[in-house]
Amino acid sequence: MKLEGSYLVPAGQERVYRLLQDPEVLAKCMPGTDRLDKVAEDEYEMKMKMMIAGMGGMFAGKIRIADQKAPESFRLVVDGTGKIGFIKGEGLLNLIAQGEKTEVKYEGDVQVGGTIAGVGQRLLDTTSKMIIKKFFEKFSEICAAD
Amino acid sequence: MATTITKTETLVGKRIRRREDPRLITGTATYVDDIQMPGMHHACIVRSPHGAANIKSINTKPALDLPGVVAVFTGKDTEKIAPVPCGASLPGLRVPHHHVLAMDRVYFLGHPVAVVVATDRYIARDAADLVEVDYEPLQAVTDPEKAIAPGAPPVHPEWPDNTAFNYHQEGGDVDKAFAEADVIVKQRITSQRLIPAPMEGRGVVAEWLAGDRALTLHSSTQIPHLLRSLIAMMLGLEENRLRVVTPEVGGAFGCKLNVYAEEALMGFVAMKIGKPVKWIESRRENFTCTIHGRGHVDYYEVAAKRDGTITGIKLKLIQDLGAYHQLLTPAIPTLSVLMMPGLYACRNIRADIVGAFTNAVPTDAYRGAGRPEATHGIERMVDILAAELKMDPVDIRLKNFVGNDAFPYTTATGLTYDSGNYAAPFEKALGIVKYKELREEQKQARAAGRLFGIGLSTYGEICAMGPSPATAAGGWESATVKIEPSGKVTVMTGASPHGQGEETTFAQIAADELGVGIDDILVLHGDTAVVQYGIGTFGSRGTAIGGTAMYFAIQDLKKKIKKYGAMLLASEDVSFANGVCTDNQSGKSVSLKEIAAASYRAMSLPPGETPGLVATNFWEPPNFTFPFGAHIVITEVDRDTGAIELKRYVAVDDCGKIINPLIVDGQVHGGVVQGLGQALWEQAVYDDNGQLVTGEFMDYALPKASNIPWIESSHTETPSPVNPLGVKGVGEAGTIGCSPAVVNSVVDALSPLGVRHIDMPLTPEKIWNLVQAGGQA
Amino acid sequence: MIAQNFEYAAPGNLQEALDLLAGGDAKALAGGMSLIPLMKLRLTAPDQLVDLARIAELNYIREEAGTLRIGATTTHYQVESSPLVRSKCPLLAEAASSIGDIQVRNQGTMGGSVAHADPAADYPASLLALEGRVKLVTAKSERELSLADFFVDTFTTALEPGEIIREVIVPVEAQSTGTSYQKVIQPASGFAIVGVAARVQKANGKIGMARIGVTGLSGKPYRATNVEQALEGTAAAAADIQKAAALVAAGVDANADLHASANYRRQLGRVYTARALAAALSRMA
Repeated sequence: MKLEGSYLVPAGQERVYRLLQDPEVLAKCMPGTDRLDKVAEDEYEMKMKMMIAGMGGMFAGKIRIADQKAPESFRLVVDGTGKIGFIKGEGLLNLIAQGEKTEVKYEGDVQVGGTIAGVGQRLLDTTSKMIIKKFFEKFSEICAAD
Repeated sequence: MATTITKTETLVGKRIRRREDPRLITGTATYVDDIQMPGMHHACIVRSPHGAANIKSINTKPALDLPGVVAVFTGKDTEKIAPVPCGASLPGLRVPHHHVLAMDRVYFLGHPVAVVVATDRYIARDAADLVEVDYEPLQAVTDPEKAIAPGAPPVHPEWPDNTAFNYHQEGGDVDKAFAEADVIVKQRITSQRLIPAPMEGRGVVAEWLAGDRALTLHSSTQIPHLLRSLIAMMLGLEENRLRVVTPEVGGAFGCKLNVYAEEALMGFVAMKIGKPVKWIESRRENFTCTIHGRGHVDYYEVAAKRDGTITGIKLKLIQDLGAYHQLLTPAIPTLSVLMMPGLYACRNIRADIVGAFTNAVPTDAYRGAGRPEATHGIERMVDILAAELKMDPVDIRLKNFVGNDAFPYTTATGLTYDSGNYAAPFEKALGIVKYKELREEQKQARAAGRLFGIGLSTYGEICAMGPSPATAAGGWESATVKIEPSGKVTVMTGASPHGQGEETTFAQIAADELGVGIDDILVLHGDTAVVQYGIGTFGSRGTAIGGTAMYFAIQDLKKKIKKYGAMLLASEDVSFANGVCTDNQSGKSVSLKEIAAASYRAMSLPPGETPGLVATNFWEPPNFTFPFGAHIVITEVDRDTGAIELKRYVAVDDCGKIINPLIVDGQVHGGVVQGLGQALWEQAVYDDNGQLVTGEFMDYALPKASNIPWIESSHTETPSPVNPLGVKGVGEAGTIGCSPAVVNSVVDALSPLGVRHIDMPLTPEKIWNLVQAGGQA
Repeated sequence: MIAQNFEYAAPGNLQEALDLLAGGDAKALAGGMSLIPLMKLRLTAPDQLVDLARIAELNYIREEAGTLRIGATTTHYQVESSPLVRSKCPLLAEAASSIGDIQVRNQGTMGGSVAHADPAADYPASLLALEGRVKLVTAKSERELSLADFFVDTFTTALEPGEIIREVIVPVEAQSTGTSYQKVIQPASGFAIVGVAARVQKANGKIGMARIGVTGLSGKPYRATNVEQALEGTAAAAADIQKAAALVAAGVDANADLHASANYRRQLGRVYTARALAAALSRMA
């Protein structure tokens, strides 16, 4: 599944770049996630509780940040497994300065497997969009704060 | 002596309601899942969530710790079970070792990895989630063309080209035909993967009686006797220690013409735990682990003269095999090649098949099995050729049909068509739709900007599979006919019907032959301890071969009946008709009932005769049969949405002599509906990682009654000379005739935009995109 | 397909049900048309189900002060066949009659469907066009919300833990209103690929009121106010309808799945908006 889009967040490019790689910020923005545990340089483990349409549960996964080109772009590599299925994805985030604000452009490819891939096709597009939206809404809040 | 006239009315040819139906519609039939046994355990299978992965480790302990779980078996435990068999043989065929449970690698989504056995079904299912399998996912490949391209990830590491076989067949002089052609048309045509989706999935109950060393396997199968032989071989059991019972089968369509890992596995489990065990396939498993149908990519080239005479056909066929060979997997595309000329008298053909391994569940026989693909190909190509030559698609067909005087007709692929009158059903169908007026109507519709299509398909099929030399496991069929001491008749047929209505049609034939009432006849099948032996029901063979075996068994009985009649009437000159034996001199008669009683009481015997009235016949057919027909579909396309309206569906089928028109129409209806499913809605879609993304009925669109137009079904009857009943077979006709008629109709509707071909399924979005692009998408 | 173990309660009255749900861990079961398959696929595994089916006080359709009030466990078939709904709110009856198949309509409930907030469900288009409301209850409280506020996002509603839908409230339709619900059926599931509900009234030969609700096109159902505004004040000639309907997907992040791309969904949105409007106009008194 291809995912792409962009969000305008209320902070400068350098700051957005830094916040987007801050494990505490990421943990706050990801729905259902309490914290990220560092397991290696730029690599974190996380647990995520997902509930959509009454389905979901715990996902355990890893996030890795790669190909950093501060403050313009980096790559996010995600790997998660839960009872209802697993995801594996990779996305490129491009940060474009827009005056006081920054446009975060993302494009990625996510592989979904397990039960959810077989029976939840029509949910994937709308739910992944919602998760991304929630992420950036929270992220924008954090950017706007202090 | 009493003289009772039992019966004079003949039943063959009458619309008689199916005797099977009352038990089916009142819920009193017994399916595998209805079987209960004391001490019965339940199995649940742990399956791969990946399309391709290495198994690094399996931890069964958490499952074993769950109260109620009695055993968990993995590939190591079942390694000694012989591989799941492939019955097809082709030169140079690569046959992967198909373990019943995966060893160190999984090859497709749903690949069985372990089996959990517990005291109830719910515990077994819970425990399956507790088996911890550590997978290392591998790159998968699910598209057959990508699979055979250089650099594709290997499905089986030992064969990096993912090629299971290459098969070549040639007849006549193809190169000359193409060199001398006035016109050559080419087209890539696909026939997508389909999920057979019977109402009842698979299911097995296995019971092992250790003291008797006897295993009984109840399985929802089309082939109880073959299953017995092959499962016995897999389990290392003597064949006569294994009994296979086939209870009611809730649909199969070819997907139960197979030997599955789970069938051997349940036998193994029952023998291990010493208790009966039941496994019932879930719908998810049915989608991911029971064979799929079709899966063709075909490259066609047709050479013709300017007058429309087809002079040569070339086909490159890429068959998506999936990860393994099931019973007939590699043989299915060879049937497409055999039928590639269709009804047309083309003498020069060349076909090359590439069998491609993919990380997907194997394909195998699904209603039509190779012939719908062939028919779709040639019927599309004939329309494309007609368009190229600006000929009417009716004229080009009539021009190329094998003529009525040519039968028996040997094709360029080496078959001998038994009998035919190809123009008869075609002209009848054209008459029903008033073809000339219809084209006029189309002209007016087009002038008004409407997209109105008329689609024709004239199909031929190869049925009554088949002479033994042409099949993998024998192509005969058997029947035992037993006239009980009371005069009741019991027929035991080796054709294991599962929805075809043979309990009715066989009884009709037997009733006419013996002159008894249909209610005096019981047709038994599907139990290897009851039925002498058999091959099964598939390839539209049940009545043509199984019915014929019964017919000949009855002929033997009739001779014996007459001898007993002669003895009882003290006459040398007797005849047997309408259930009574009559002395042609005195007119005295004796009933079948009286003869039967006398034969078992055996106070005296006719000279050289034995007691009892039982006869068995194993009938070997001298040839296949070749039914044919014509379907016409009228459609209209909505420009704004691409939606297709099926305005009219006319089917004229010739399946030889018709035993029961009601059942024949039912078979045609069911077949057409499955053909419409392929043409319009159904597609099994794997993503690049081997996930089946149409994994249940929310995304896999089976036809619904509300989507189906009235099917105007009628017939012509051209008897087959192959068997004395004159029957050919009709189980698959509807499916074979349907899809090209639908696609030809929609292509015809869009032809003003320059559209020449559309691959199935014809989704509205695909059609709308074509309309948007002015036919160029 | 077998669900995980769960506790099951089938209380006979609403207060008992709400008390059981109060902890927030139990899941309310209505018709089970979505929840049961999810459980059988093990995509969800609630510890406790509270079955609302035996609660008579949740199953009703009644007229009250210019509104129809439809109890949460009223089945789609009850809605579709109710003489009251058919005469006083025909749009809702039409929407109900287009849901799934007859078995689903006999089992599925209005409250269950609305609470599930499936982005392809049929009801929301009509409920938004009707400017309907929901009454929500917990063991201790009761509140009313417009459906526009109730549908938050895909499969996400304003329901708080322990809260259920008590009833759905729609206005009694004025006799002069023409309505229609038109949907493109996803051939496998029967859900709407796109579904459009239209309500129109004319005054002095011009459209005085137009309401358009859309389902299936986006992550959540919405009212196409831009279409409504474009239409209001026009004579609703064919060209007016086309022009207005063309706006239905403007600025909408359209869904894409196996069955329809975003682009095609937008096209279906435009075509079916025009068709729903034309049908509604033709049914205007």
